[in-house]
Amino acid sequence: MTRPTAKEIKAMTEVAGVPVDNDVATRIANSIGPAFEGFAPVAGTLPFDLEPTTFLLVQNAKAEQ
Amino acid sequence: MNTEPALMSLTAVAKAIAEKRVSSREVTQSCLDRIAQWQPKLNAFMAIEAEEALKAADAADAALAKGNAKGVLHGVPLAHKDMYYDKGKVVTCGSRIRKDFVATTTSTALRRLKDAGTVRLGSLQMVEFAYGPTGHNPHYGPVHNPWNVDHITGGSSSGFGSAVAARLTFAALGSDTGGSIRMPAHFCGVTGLKTTVGRISRAGAMPLSWSLDTVGPLAQSAEDCALLLGLMAGADPEDPTASALPVPDYMAATKQSIKGLKIGVPTAFYVDDLDSEVARVLDETLAVLKKEGAEIVKVELPDQRQLTAACQFVLATEAAAFHKRWMIERPQDYGAQVLMRLQNGLAIPAVSYLEAMRWRGPALVAYLAAVEGTDAVIAPVAPMPAPTIAESDVGTSHDAEAVIQRVTRFTRPINYLGLPSLSIPTGFAKTGLPVGLQIIGRSFDEAMLIRIGAAFQRATDFHARVPKLS
Repeated sequence: MTRPTAKEIKAMTEVAGVPVDNDVATRIANSIGPAFEGFAPVAGTLPFDLEPTTFLLVQNAKAEQ
Repeated sequence: MNTEPALMSLTAVAKAIAEKRVSSREVTQSCLDRIAQWQPKLNAFMAIEAEEALKAADAADAALAKGNAKGVLHGVPLAHKDMYYDKGKVVTCGSRIRKDFVATTTSTALRRLKDAGTVRLGSLQMVEFAYGPTGHNPHYGPVHNPWNVDHITGGSSSGFGSAVAARLTFAALGSDTGGSIRMPAHFCGVTGLKTTVGRISRAGAMPLSWSLDTVGPLAQSAEDCALLLGLMAGADPEDPTASALPVPDYMAATKQSIKGLKIGVPTAFYVDDLDSEVARVLDETLAVLKKEGAEIVKVELPDQRQLTAACQFVLATEAAAFHKRWMIERPQDYGAQVLMRLQNGLAIPAVSYLEAMRWRGPALVAYLAAVEGTDAVIAPVAPMPAPTIAESDVGTSHDAEAVIQRVTRFTRPINYLGLPSLSIPTGFAKTGLPVGLQIIGRSFDEAMLIRIGAAFQRATDFHARVPKLS
């Protein structure tokens, strides 16, 4: 997954209603960048029929066995 | 019986009070005496309610004299992380923003312990809004590790680790969203149980990340944790996310042998870049488990780094959403590091967050497939024993998030998968600091973790060692 740039982060925080200045946007970009790179192999490759609730189904199915 | 009642275990003191071998007042006074000695060095308590505690202890003794015991913890004094709502009490959540917040309800977990007869000693320090793994708090000061006060306790349940280790309370309630129970257990040499998501109701507990938050106990031993879990677990009409699965007899699990159990040891990630002392303790622990009859097998887990990244997406986004109003209205009232980390959540696109949520199911399936045939997996809680307060005080520095991620890299994958994990004290580094390991189980199989933890604690005495006041 592509890590967001400071410029993109500045725009995102404005849309979220909690704007930050350039320095903070740069700091955020450095801070969370590695997470975007770490999640890259999975992002965008998930099956179409996968719901977020699958986790609960798996968790409970295993527990009831 | 110990001459100092505060040094007893939770199960032992509860039994001693029930059998009238010691009174609730004597026990409560013993805890208060230790708090008076240790608090100036540790800063473990947020509030100490000595007068009210003694009054409640007297009432408990009077009720017991009339044959009216409330429950199995009748007259036992406890203190909990300052994020459990207790009607009429100030609950700061370790923050300036909530320094005067008076709870109007009582959390389900806390109420169930009160219904069992506990006495309130006060409340315990924590990291601001439970958002940090080291134990630093800019508003109320850092909490100190009783094994060496220059070192951190771990967080976010900082006061809880420090207070249980120093025997200021017999046990405490904490929360674990990214490692906040297991980290203080490891750094302070006590036993902490991160429960399966949904095993204990979260009603009335301050949220950090509702998909990951779990409530759990910290105590001297696996047996004490079993007692508390049995009291708190189960369905709750006030929290629809609490599971309705039956609550097993966790105390029975403490008596079982581990002969024939298969315990997995990861071949990578959890054993990479370990401090040599943590690596030594892991080897020694495996030897003890083998001697007790367990079979140690290697397990190849799916890429855990992706789980850590996914966990960060979920945690940061949900925390930012929860705090958004205060981030707009009262940014100046946050500590700099917590505000910084909350701001991180603003920069995660909704699609990325939802992808992380969608991947939880397949990630859990892959993990369970990898550990098929084992009864539990054992791994370090952190790559190192407790760092010093000074070296881990990263504040808002450029590499602060990297430091935080390193400390929590072995705990976060487990939160993402929602699995239970028991952190037990397994040895000491040459510096005298404790080292713990986590036993990771399947969803809702806390009984297996308690069984293994209790067996290890029958064979060793690390959990029974008490730090000395210097």
